[in-house]
Amino acid sequence: MSYLLTTIVFLPLAAAVICAMLPKDLAGAAKWVAATVMAFDVTLVGWLLATFDVRGGVQAVVDIPWVPQIAIRYHLGADGISLAMLALSALLGLIAVVASWKMDKSPGTYFVMLMLLQVGMNGVFVALDLVLFYVFWELVLVPMYFLIAMWGGERRSYASLKFFLYTLAGSVFMLVGIIALYLYSGPNNTFDIAELVRASAGGAFNGIQGWLFLAFFLGFAVKVPIWPLHTWLPDAHVEAPTAASVLLAGVLLKMGTYGFIRIALPILPVAAKAWAPWIAALAVISIVYGASVAFAQTDVKKLIAYSSVSHMGFVMLGIASGTAAGLDGAVAVMVSHGLVTGLLFLMVGMVYERTHTRQIAELSGLSSQVPAIGGILAFASFASLGLPGLSGFVGEFLSLLGSWQSTLVPHWMTVVAAVGVMLAAAYMLWMVQRVVLGEASEAVSRISDITAREVAYVLPLIGLTVLVGVYWNSLLRFVDPAVQGIVTILARVV
Amino acid sequence: MTWLLAIPLLPALAFALLAPLPRVTRNALRWVPAVAMAGSLAGALAAFAMVLRSGGGDQPIYHTSFAIATIGGKALDVGIQLDAVAAIMLLVVTIVGMCVQVYSLGYMHRDGRVGWYFAVLSLFSAAMLGLVLASDFLLLYMCWEVMGLCSYLLIGFWHTQEAPRMASIKAFLTTRVGDVGFAIALAIMYASVGSFGFAAVLHGYSWTPALATAVSLLLLFGAMGKSAQVPLHVWLPDAMAGPTPASALIHAATMVAAGVYLVARAMPLFEISQVALTVTLVVGTGTALLGALLATVQHDIKKVLAYSTISQLGYMFIALGTGSAVAGLFHLMTHAFFKSLLFLGAGVIIHAVHTQDMREMGGLRKLLPWTTAAFTAGALALAGVFPFSGFWSKDEILVSLWSGGHYVVFALALFAAFLTAFYMTRLWFRVFAGPAQKPEVREAHVEMIVPMVLLAGISLVVGFASPFFATFLGEHGGWPDIMMAVGSSAVATSGIVAGWWVFGKKAVDTEALKARFPHLYGIFDNKFYFDRTYEFVFVNAYNRLSDALWTFDTKVIDGAVDGFGHAWSAVAGGSWTFDAKVIDGAVMGLASTVTWIGARVRRLQAGRVQTYQRLVMAAVILLVLWIALKGA
Repeated sequence: MSYLLTTIVFLPLAAAVICAMLPKDLAGAAKWVAATVMAFDVTLVGWLLATFDVRGGVQAVVDIPWVPQIAIRYHLGADGISLAMLALSALLGLIAVVASWKMDKSPGTYFVMLMLLQVGMNGVFVALDLVLFYVFWELVLVPMYFLIAMWGGERRSYASLKFFLYTLAGSVFMLVGIIALYLYSGPNNTFDIAELVRASAGGAFNGIQGWLFLAFFLGFAVKVPIWPLHTWLPDAHVEAPTAASVLLAGVLLKMGTYGFIRIALPILPVAAKAWAPWIAALAVISIVYGASVAFAQTDVKKLIAYSSVSHMGFVMLGIASGTAAGLDGAVAVMVSHGLVTGLLFLMVGMVYERTHTRQIAELSGLSSQVPAIGGILAFASFASLGLPGLSGFVGEFLSLLGSWQSTLVPHWMTVVAAVGVMLAAAYMLWMVQRVVLGEASEAVSRISDITAREVAYVLPLIGLTVLVGVYWNSLLRFVDPAVQGIVTILARVV
Repeated sequence: MTWLLAIPLLPALAFALLAPLPRVTRNALRWVPAVAMAGSLAGALAAFAMVLRSGGGDQPIYHTSFAIATIGGKALDVGIQLDAVAAIMLLVVTIVGMCVQVYSLGYMHRDGRVGWYFAVLSLFSAAMLGLVLASDFLLLYMCWEVMGLCSYLLIGFWHTQEAPRMASIKAFLTTRVGDVGFAIALAIMYASVGSFGFAAVLHGYSWTPALATAVSLLLLFGAMGKSAQVPLHVWLPDAMAGPTPASALIHAATMVAAGVYLVARAMPLFEISQVALTVTLVVGTGTALLGALLATVQHDIKKVLAYSTISQLGYMFIALGTGSAVAGLFHLMTHAFFKSLLFLGAGVIIHAVHTQDMREMGGLRKLLPWTTAAFTAGALALAGVFPFSGFWSKDEILVSLWSGGHYVVFALALFAAFLTAFYMTRLWFRVFAGPAQKPEVREAHVEMIVPMVLLAGISLVVGFASPFFATFLGEHGGWPDIMMAVGSSAVATSGIVAGWWVFGKKAVDTEALKARFPHLYGIFDNKFYFDRTYEFVFVNAYNRLSDALWTFDTKVIDGAVDGFGHAWSAVAGGSWTFDAKVIDGAVMGLASTVTWIGARVRRLQAGRVQTYQRLVMAAVILLVLWIALKGA
């Protein structure tokens, strides 16, 4: 059991090594290596899900010294929140590989990057030692940088560097926070999250929680991203190749909100509560601002990018609420946004592959020419705008309930966020109106409909979107027990 | 009685079966939803029989729930229940639904996407049936939204045309404005009661009047969106761009009445808050009048019916405003039958003459005998003529207004009733009387005639259930007051006579009237300027805001980011400048991308990043030192 998480996390590394060693004329085999390994990875995560005891706390733990001199440990483990994110990461990783099947520009290197990225993504969500967490966090940065810089669109150079520097600048503050936590953690200095939570309850960080929270806030807020630190996102999204966009939106953004839930809230609960109204305010601004700017977009991918800013606002609103409903909602939005936005990017990728444009003005009448592609794009749009019965509704609704219930968030902010739900319908339907409906435009008029391979990789996302939307507990049964622990910690402090 | 679940699930399964199929297969299987609907109808009849046997009343005879979610260790339940109200609503929805399905088999058979039409119709039926069976506000809300989706899809069914496309998005967004209120009401319920169950929210919690008012008004706002009440009514006339049978089911009989149903369900909350009742009354009165007035000047036969629907829904809100859920629900029921009948009739007429403009119709009485007879029955019911059903239900509303002491509203409601009789007479003479303009017209097929005749029959007799209806729902019921009956009949008759005077006998030149009062006509022609105002105040303003924010985003926020990069690189110095490499690089990159090969990019970029990272690490170390020193 103790090797399970290690295997899940580092299996893609094996794939990366194999892909890197492939001779040039066998580079075409890289996708098979990556797909096989990721399929195995997903299976292992599935097995973990199946054997997971939802009331059993942190499971599949491995905890051994790594750098004993300064108490850094190789400590992995998964609670329900970790598991949900790990499952999302592995599934989207596999889908990203299959969606990149036709990658012909240095495929060997491409899949090496994809697999390295996967190691970082998987690791972040199960690391229970802050240094280990930081290592995985930064590990994600480099392959994503190369994916955008080498396989990206026209402005890839600017976008990739902006992504890299922006996130790096944020994580530097986080590193400061991590070191400071270590220094203040008491006589037995530690990087271990659980021990830091205990130290915090013992008063170790009294008086400086605000500063420490600020450090982590900056690190996480850039990644989420929270307004006004979001402008790297549209550039990175638009320039990234489809698979990278899927992982960027589907997994990377969640690392930020996951950081709040895993680290900032439990270790620094006093500051988290003190900051809550301000975080909620920024969240609400993100919701409305993201939705309004999305409405003005002429590029489908950019529209979806700004919609992410809006959706991630709901995650932050739920987190700020500090209530069980809010935090359950936050994780539900994280998962749902991964599924739905992943699906949206995949669909836009399919359209782009066929028409070589993402301009809304040039796309029209997809459902007239390619009913399956148009239909799935419309499905994803409705999931995104929060239609009940699909996953998008669950989290946003719970996030609203939680923020109204919370004493930390003023009621008017919840009202504004609820208006944001309506604005989401506006930009999404307005996109559907122009892209999916109507007579087929010239760019669309000769393209062919979805292929079997494409169906295969969107079907799991569609299925999970419906499953989570119809039966919320399919997700929340894992998440809620873990959330209760955090709510208890928050309730203990004034 | 778990089989009750099959009532909504059968049509839901039909949708799930049809939706993923390719178009051709789907078209071939278009009868599946009708079969599913027949199953639901049978279930609804059985459910009604069981409630009838138990004697009705306001207590559910069956309730089951399951935990859709666990929040903070506490189960969040959704469930279904069967009580008298639900039993009646089930019957209404399945009967009208069945009629519309059968009719549509004839009406839509030439359409290339008929399978999709039936699939969505089926999903709609599932959601509506789920809504009336729901035992909590959460499931009700979820079904409510799914109905909104189906409405959107059906209004925009012919999406290659501009008008249906625009109408569908308008409908979805306008109703979603109301849904914001509904959602916040749910948040308040959750924070206060901790549950969404009808029993817990309505009877198991002691609401303060202030909070009850807030929740009631928010629910009312949601209901106003769905039920097209002023000022959220603007979407319904445009929604007529959808297929006519879909209009009959969704935009006349069932979905638009869901708001009435919601308020009727939440009546105990409204009763705690007298303010909410008064607001409901005012909204209903305004809507009843506005709808009736605008119905008198429409030339499009479906628009007449649409404004009539708005007006009649206003009537139902008037009933709710007097605190009488029974009167509201009874009118909901009678209206569902006769208005869906009128729409189905309009569908036959439109198919026969290939226009919706009543000025191009006329003389259809002889050419479409069955349709004329059925339509006339519906029109008489709408006008409130004894013994047709509308007479009875309208009477109940008038009685509750009078006995509640709302004399002003009573007078206005009578005026609206007069207008109703007037515009229906106008429609009748324009469409059916006079010389035939298109003599080649033929009567509809039997699958379209039979549903209309059935609905006409129901509209003729269902009014006599009036006294039993109230008893069934657990209230006191009785035959209508004779004075009230005489009075309202007089009003209806005068409306018909006036209509005949103007449009049958043509004693008044309507064109001359228009010319005489151009400003007044302008107001009517512009639908009291609601659309124009919204266009200007909300749509245009939001467009400008969204453009402005985008500019702000790229210029100000991103400008600051890039500026920060400039500044830092200037401070840090180094072998390269951020400006030249990044900013200009991005610009130049456009031109030189083609020549940039991957390896070169990798080498250059990696070099930069490492340099940069070293700088950043230096900054980190300084910061850490600073914090450590400060701590010490």
